[in-house]
Amino acid sequence: MNGPCPQMQDRIADYVLGALDAPQAEALQEHLAHCEACRRYAEILKRQAESLVALGRQIEIGMEARQDKVIEALESVSPVEAGTRRIFPSVGGFLRVSVAAVLVLGVGVAIGRWAAPRPVDVEQLRADLQVSIAESLKPVVRESILTDVNQRLESGLAANEAGLRRELADQLRSDLQLFAAQFTSGSERLIEKRFTELVQLIEEARLKDRQRVAKALEQIEQNRARDKTQIGMGFQSLAALTAKATPAVQH
Amino acid sequence: MDERNDKELALASHQGDRTAYAVLVRRHYQSVFLVCLGVLGSVHDAEDIAQDTLVKGFERIRQLRDGAQFGGWIVAIARNLSLNLVRKRKVADETFGRESPPANHRPESGHEDLEQAVARLPRDLRLPLVMYYFDGQDVKTVAEKLQISTSGVYSKLRTALKELHDTLTAQGDER
Repeated sequence: MNGPCPQMQDRIADYVLGALDAPQAEALQEHLAHCEACRRYAEILKRQAESLVALGRQIEIGMEARQDKVIEALESVSPVEAGTRRIFPSVGGFLRVSVAAVLVLGVGVAIGRWAAPRPVDVEQLRADLQVSIAESLKPVVRESILTDVNQRLESGLAANEAGLRRELADQLRSDLQLFAAQFTSGSERLIEKRFTELVQLIEEARLKDRQRVAKALEQIEQNRARDKTQIGMGFQSLAALTAKATPAVQH
Repeated sequence: MDERNDKELALASHQGDRTAYAVLVRRHYQSVFLVCLGVLGSVHDAEDIAQDTLVKGFERIRQLRDGAQFGGWIVAIARNLSLNLVRKRKVADETFGRESPPANHRPESGHEDLEQAVARLPRDLRLPLVMYYFDGQDVKTVAEKLQISTSGVYSKLRTALKELHDTLTAQGDER
């Protein structure tokens, strides 16, 4: 048995589905009119579609009975369960509220305990007090010690005032003498050093002047020698010219 | 016939009103069942999962924010539960190295061959076929529910019809 034209199968399926527009459907019907294999294929698909609709209706027949079964099954689902998912499905509403209340109270107590002051720790308190007292007494003790030391110094100074004054004057005198001696010797050394440097500078300047004068004299001597040579040559050439000119004059 | 809309019925169900929920069951059972059938390919399995779906829907009704959306919400649950069953069976088949049992358990239907052929269709072809032929939804509605184009729905229906034809023809040749 020949099959339908391969290029027409989709078109035939669309025809069965009612997806073709009028010109397309008309063109297909023209093809089907003279192609038996395609015509048979179209008839089979059409019957198949009708069978599908019939099968759907048949399945639909049992719908009410199935719905009844579902509604019966709902009877075993307690109304409480018809809510959000719960951790303990068997726990009733009142108990749930009670558990919630206990949880809320528990959280409240926990927060209260956390926020409340802690019981007094006697040992800790004692240690804190000792530290606090020691800290607060420190300035007083320091002041007392300083006052005591000052008083002792003043009394010691008053007892030996004359001796101390003499010692201080002697010390001051010896210090001044030492300073003056050091200053004087230092000044003398500095002046001598500066004088030596000055002499050296003068000597260097004089030496340079002598060198410059000697160089100038030498240059002058060279210039004079050159001039002398040139003058000599001038005289010679003049003499030569004079000697040449003399016979002509004689004629 | 209860005149209340889905939102009112869902609200009443929210308070544990089984009668109100029963109205929702009757109103939406067919869509739920056909989605299960479209995914699972077996009337028997579809009955079981449809029942599970609607019972779970009652249990979880308080999770539904807008009662007016009950239809889409319950169908989504049906689809997920059906896909879960498919996955479990696939894992079992891979583990024990056996094929899935025949889908059809209703030999008295009179369309056994066709029903079996539908059950053997790939799931992405079967679901639009069931929605279109069994539930009578038009192509545009199927496209919206499956979130594909109308041409995509036509393409899937066309392929499904051709595959059904090939399967039934092969079965006829074997006999």
